[in-house]
Amino acid sequence: MRKIQIILALMIGLFTTVNVQAQDDISPERKQAIDSLALEKVRDLSKYVSIIGSKNTAWSEANRVIDRAEELFMQGAEMGVSTLAKPEVDYYKVRQYFERLMRLNYDRVEIEWFKIEYVSDLQRQPDGTYVGVITIFQKFKGYDKEGGLVYEDTTKKDITVYVKRKETQIGGRIIGFWDVLLGDMRVKETSK
Amino acid sequence: MQMTISMHQLRRLGLLFLVVLITLGGTTSCKSKKKLAREQAAAEYAAKIDRATKDLTAILNDETSWTLDEKETRLATIKSWNLQDENVLALIDQVDDKLSRERAEASRMAEEERLRAEEEARRASEAAKYGSIESQFMAIAGAPDVDAANERIARTISLFASPDAPVLIIISQAGGFNDYDRPTTIGKYLDYLKDQKVYSNTIEQVKYDSNGKITELELIKK
Repeated sequence: MRKIQIILALMIGLFTTVNVQAQDDISPERKQAIDSLALEKVRDLSKYVSIIGSKNTAWSEANRVIDRAEELFMQGAEMGVSTLAKPEVDYYKVRQYFERLMRLNYDRVEIEWFKIEYVSDLQRQPDGTYVGVITIFQKFKGYDKEGGLVYEDTTKKDITVYVKRKETQIGGRIIGFWDVLLGDMRVKETSK
Repeated sequence: MQMTISMHQLRRLGLLFLVVLITLGGTTSCKSKKKLAREQAAAEYAAKIDRATKDLTAILNDETSWTLDEKETRLATIKSWNLQDENVLALIDQVDDKLSRERAEASRMAEEERLRAEEEARRASEAAKYGSIESQFMAIAGAPDVDAANERIARTISLFASPDAPVLIIISQAGGFNDYDRPTTIGKYLDYLKDQKVYSNTIEQVKYDSNGKITELELIKK
């Protein structure tokens, strides 16, 4: 009798594991869609950085864009800032980083992000969150009043991305969505 | 007297012989006609078996250029011959099965084609229906400056019940259910188009209130 109970318990355990495993698995097509979504969020951020940094952007517009950009990040995320003048990297909270970016002491600023790609693919964590790392290269150029280039550098940065399945109710129905949030942006190297 | 009888008998015998000859001759001729007809019928039957065998084999091996209708007509004709040849009957069974499968496949393909055409028509109709909203979105993304974009945003937002009307963006569709990006509002979405300067979705569904204002928008990534 005891043996039968043990066998039954093992079988129930096995079926439960298989069922949970099946729920966790997502098709390659869905995974591809999530990968693309996370990359798109980083590209969106790239555009926001460029708008916030631009001296042609009105103050109110820049603040509105900061709000949008901030929504892309997790609470407490930090952004690394480097300069060729010193080897240390300073880290700022996201809002603070954007506000500093908006007030940079140049007459004209050009910020361009390129080579935006995964260095570490999204991997499913035990809590169901997918975590990956996307690398970007940032070309920064600062000009003076006369239009002369006074500072430029290229920085390689790594951004951790977190993608989690969530649900919300809209119009009386449950909508399942993938929430992409960006984490810390770490400076990997800075060069001229 | 003896001589007269003999002559008379001879005439009667001759007549009798003639009758027998005619009778025998007629019977022989009738018999040969029937035989000929039998032979002719047998030859025709054999030819039909040969024709049926060839046609049925060709249909089975896909060696004809006939359409399915033509093949079915041919099979019906062969069946109407009522050939009692074992080989032909077996071939008829096989061709029957094959044509049934082909007919089912043709029906399935026709149904698929009908559904595809229906879906295409529905999409075309929706594209036409949502064309004006799509063009507003494209105009915002393609605006030459912030002021022009804001002007277009104000015009577009008037189509909606509120700037907080939800916007859902489908990122993938599989197994009959949708994966969405984080839901947003039309106000934020139009600003997004202005900032990113690109509109890369299409409208999947629009919900309206009784005033004809949009209360919910569902987009899908291209």
